Amino acid sequence: MPTTKFRFIQFAEVDWNDAVCLITYGPLPDKLFLSIKAVGLLQKPLLQRKENGLFRIICGSRRLAVSRELGLQPLPCQILPDSLPLHTCLRMAIYDNLAHRRLNPVEKSLVLTKMADHMDKSKLIEEFMSPLDLEPSVILLERYEKLVQLEPFILDSLASGRLNERVAFALTPLEQTDRLALFQLFQELPFSVSVEEELVEMVVEIGRRQGIGLAEVINLREIREIRQANTRPARQRAQDIRRYLQALRSPRLTARKERFAKEVHDLGLPAGVRLVPPPHFEGPRWSLECAFERGDELAARLRHLAELADRGEFQRVMKSVC
Amino acid sequence: MNYRPERLLIEKPVSESRLVQRILAAMKDIPVDWVDRLKDNTTSKNGKVLEIVKFQGRFIKPCPGTRFYTCCGYQILNLGFQCSLGCTYCILQSYFPNPNLRLFGNLEDMWQQLEEHLQSSPRRVHRIGTGEFTDSLLLDPLTRMSEELVPFFAAKPNAVLELKTKTAQVDLLKSLHHRGHTIVAWSLNPPSLIAREEADTATLEERLEAARRCQEWGYRLAFHFDPLLVYPNWQKGYRDVVDHLSSMVDPGGIAWISLGTLRFMPSLKPIIRRNHPKSTILEEEFIPGLDGKMRYFRDLRVEMYGYLSRMLRNWHKDLCVYLCMESSDIWHESLGFDPAECGGLSDMLDGQALP
Repeated sequence: MPTTKFRFIQFAEVDWNDAVCLITYGPLPDKLFLSIKAVGLLQKPLLQRKENGLFRIICGSRRLAVSRELGLQPLPCQILPDSLPLHTCLRMAIYDNLAHRRLNPVEKSLVLTKMADHMDKSKLIEEFMSPLDLEPSVILLERYEKLVQLEPFILDSLASGRLNERVAFALTPLEQTDRLALFQLFQELPFSVSVEEELVEMVVEIGRRQGIGLAEVINLREIREIRQANTRPARQRAQDIRRYLQALRSPRLTARKERFAKEVHDLGLPAGVRLVPPPHFEGPRWSLECAFERGDELAARLRHLAELADRGEFQRVMKSVC
Repeated sequence: MNYRPERLLIEKPVSESRLVQRILAAMKDIPVDWVDRLKDNTTSKNGKVLEIVKFQGRFIKPCPGTRFYTCCGYQILNLGFQCSLGCTYCILQSYFPNPNLRLFGNLEDMWQQLEEHLQSSPRRVHRIGTGEFTDSLLLDPLTRMSEELVPFFAAKPNAVLELKTKTAQVDLLKSLHHRGHTIVAWSLNPPSLIAREEADTATLEERLEAARRCQEWGYRLAFHFDPLLVYPNWQKGYRDVVDHLSSMVDPGGIAWISLGTLRFMPSLKPIIRRNHPKSTILEEEFIPGLDGKMRYFRDLRVEMYGYLSRMLRNWHKDLCVYLCMESSDIWHESLGFDPAECGGLSDMLDGQALP
């Protein structure tokens, strides 16, 4: 730890716009307000004087911001030597935060992008990814590095946990209009993280296949109608949208499911009997479920089934239509 | 094609190998780095280095089929890894993240294992191919391996070699003594797909011309419509390929033709997106197959197989057409029979293998 000097600082002496060593992101915690209001600043922020005479915040940006909002000045601070290199200061900021809390995804992204200016990828992965609770991998590093380029309100969602980083990774490479259309949908209706990922992929593929933009897919009349059907619970509308997009993405499978449902209906299976195709109609193994209460009931159903199984209609249910 | 690396990286234990000597003689102006043992960090992974190593594994292995789909009982002779032909759908992108081509220099181990393997089951017909983990003929002008392999198989009564390629590099095959024990095979697709999805391969015209020449030299041929790819008006595209094929080769000299629609492990999808952003192969409708690979929905597969097999049989009714990695219901629906009911696919192809 380099030698520091103690000093009281006025608000006007701090360069509040300097974010070079800032890796905190998100709203100021209420408890920090409570603490500082009650007992003042217990841990002194760490600053460094810049060439323009103002002070750059190295550690304690949130403590300083709360103090500023509370109008508590002068602020007791530790001042680092001017000669201390920037990357050393940045490292101090990062480790100070890592030592006492889990960083949110935006903060992880800030750590990795800022340190990337001072070290090569392999060293960055080796030193920082595990402490950030990330699997050390180039692909993941590259994904995190791109997160900070997202729009501020998406970053806010990400930092607060309303948007999962996996979904943010999927949104990052999209055009802004497309990204915002999807983001808005996710804010509006309750999807799980894996469904949100699935929806991004489906919409991308539908858009590519139909030669239209992703935002256009999201704004299709059918989807708009589902979204606007406010009398239906949000969860059901979310399921409806997923089903609609799945049908759009997999028209053949959907058509086959519909045909199967109609043909099974027309077959007139005995009550309590269900014909189950293989998942996605893939593979030769079909199954039949038969519920019964008495032996004679089972016997009657099996006789009926045996009769049905010999019919051409039953065989056709199991065949493709080309 | 004309593969030319920027650098050779050779493991010292294979420095005396005749394969290494041959390559060094052919590439005198290419810088060479010698290493005791090639490690991940001793090679730059830019696809421009030709690596020659001592292979520690088994040179000959069964083709990795799965129990869910009918496998043809093929065996793989592994002479190297990776391919530089740049096919968008290539599974090697996910098997081997290192894009450099790698050859195995310890040929004496390969020959020993191959000999032992053939002797261990002398009554069995061995269909052996070198085109699973690399293209069979991509590096042949450099390695001249065909000059060793073709005569070797010519002398084996119970074995046949299949050289599977998307190149037209067949010149070395011309004067080789093959006795019908080498089958030269091409993967086929319509020209528009070759241009977009198989960027650095030979054109359809070049492949078929190479096939014609091989047939002229007495080789039997095989063709693999694999992967069959769906695209707008695919029927016409594949019909034109079959028409073109029928104008170039004699169907009587074709050992077999396989059909297989595109399939891939889900992990390959992001790799294709990253490596080939212009590819359109992922836009079709896929379902997870029983083996975990993504496949076209069954109705589409049945439609494609049915269409192709009808065209091929219209051309020549006795062509041996088979499906690669499909289940009995798909066989029945598209080809009208299941090989399991008449001795199995492996037997069916064994019957075609030997001259």
